[in-house]
Amino acid sequence: MKRAPIVIAGTLVGLIGVLKFHTAPISLAGPAGSALPAASASGASPARSPSSQGAKGAGSAAGPGSQRSVAARTAVGPAVYYDYGTLKVRVTVSGHRITNVGIASLDDGSNPRSQYIDQQSIPMLEQEVLQAQSANIQGVSGASFTSAGFAQSLQGALRSLGLA
Amino acid sequence: MGTVVTIDVYPEPAATESQRAKIPAHIHLACDLLHRVDEVFSTWRPDSPVSRLRRGEITADDAPAEVADVIAACAAARELSGGWFDPWAMPGGFDPTGYVKGWAAQRALAVLTPADGVSGAMVNAAGDIACSGQLPTGQPFRVGIANPAAPRRLAEIVELTGAIATSGSYERGPHLIDPHSGLPAARAASASVTGPDLGLADALATGLAVAGPDGLAIVEAIAGYAGLIIGFDGTRQSTQGFPFAERGRP
Repeated sequence: MKRAPIVIAGTLVGLIGVLKFHTAPISLAGPAGSALPAASASGASPARSPSSQGAKGAGSAAGPGSQRSVAARTAVGPAVYYDYGTLKVRVTVSGHRITNVGIASLDDGSNPRSQYIDQQSIPMLEQEVLQAQSANIQGVSGASFTSAGFAQSLQGALRSLGLA
Repeated sequence: MGTVVTIDVYPEPAATESQRAKIPAHIHLACDLLHRVDEVFSTWRPDSPVSRLRRGEITADDAPAEVADVIAACAAARELSGGWFDPWAMPGGFDPTGYVKGWAAQRALAVLTPADGVSGAMVNAAGDIACSGQLPTGQPFRVGIANPAAPRRLAEIVELTGAIATSGSYERGPHLIDPHSGLPAARAASASVTGPDLGLADALATGLAVAGPDGLAIVEAIAGYAGLIIGFDGTRQSTQGFPFAERGRP
């Protein structure tokens, strides 16, 4: 199996530009209507896909397209107030590649509407950051996000890793 | 605009190291452009030129030149949409946000391509997407449309050669304004528009979500643009030529 081509991507998160290097999308998608593989099963756990699993073991974060093994580093961003409560984002990087992103903590006041919105939107945000892992599509149209708070905390986490 | 923009640049497999090395600088230029647009057009920043324009503190002549460009483009989009997209009918005064997000992403894309050694690029502004070129494999970009009834699932997949914008009540509930009544209204769970320019696609998708199925004929009449509506009951209606990906393709 030939090595997946390297894709260079920049993620603009609110006010910052971040360069990340990631592998090409991996073919996992089923027909239209199937669940997005890169979205996690629950808004409170990190999104995972085959190309991000390496990040779980510290020091062996090389994905299928990585040219060398780079230690995975994880940081949690600051608590950020957003429309529905407070959240903290956790991000794992391998070199300049974001390999995992998820919610470290979330307090939406247990308001049912807030919980509903978070359950819908946070997996989409995780999926958006891990876009390259989202099977054989390159993007998703039609996602309106609880994005500002998520982006702000992610920015803080990346900055603490020296990447923003 | 307080939104998340993702930029993907795909080098050709045969791209040289020096060609690859130039890509990050181009991405930074695209990011700089987006920051500048945010500073000028944000309706969230009270000191932005557009906020000051909305309050009547300045006129378009006093604002940066691109403000006049956007005002002219918004007027053209209002005309093309049959009045269903109308930034002048927003509560709180002129609000070009429905056009600016796509317009900015389209301009950012123009910074990235064409470039030697690059097969394609995609700029995704919180679900409104502009792309050019193709994947390094030579295949077209494929983009999912979120299912309005279950946003973690896809309703459709399209093969994209230009831009796609989708409007609907995914997260914020019914926040679309009917320009004819000035009241919140949406006659579709989601509306997507594809076409060569993301600014116009964004405006048309906003209008189509308010207009509902009656708006499809308006989109169909605009050369190069196509529309898809997903109803509240999940039914699909589209114009001829909406670029659905072939079902079952891996």
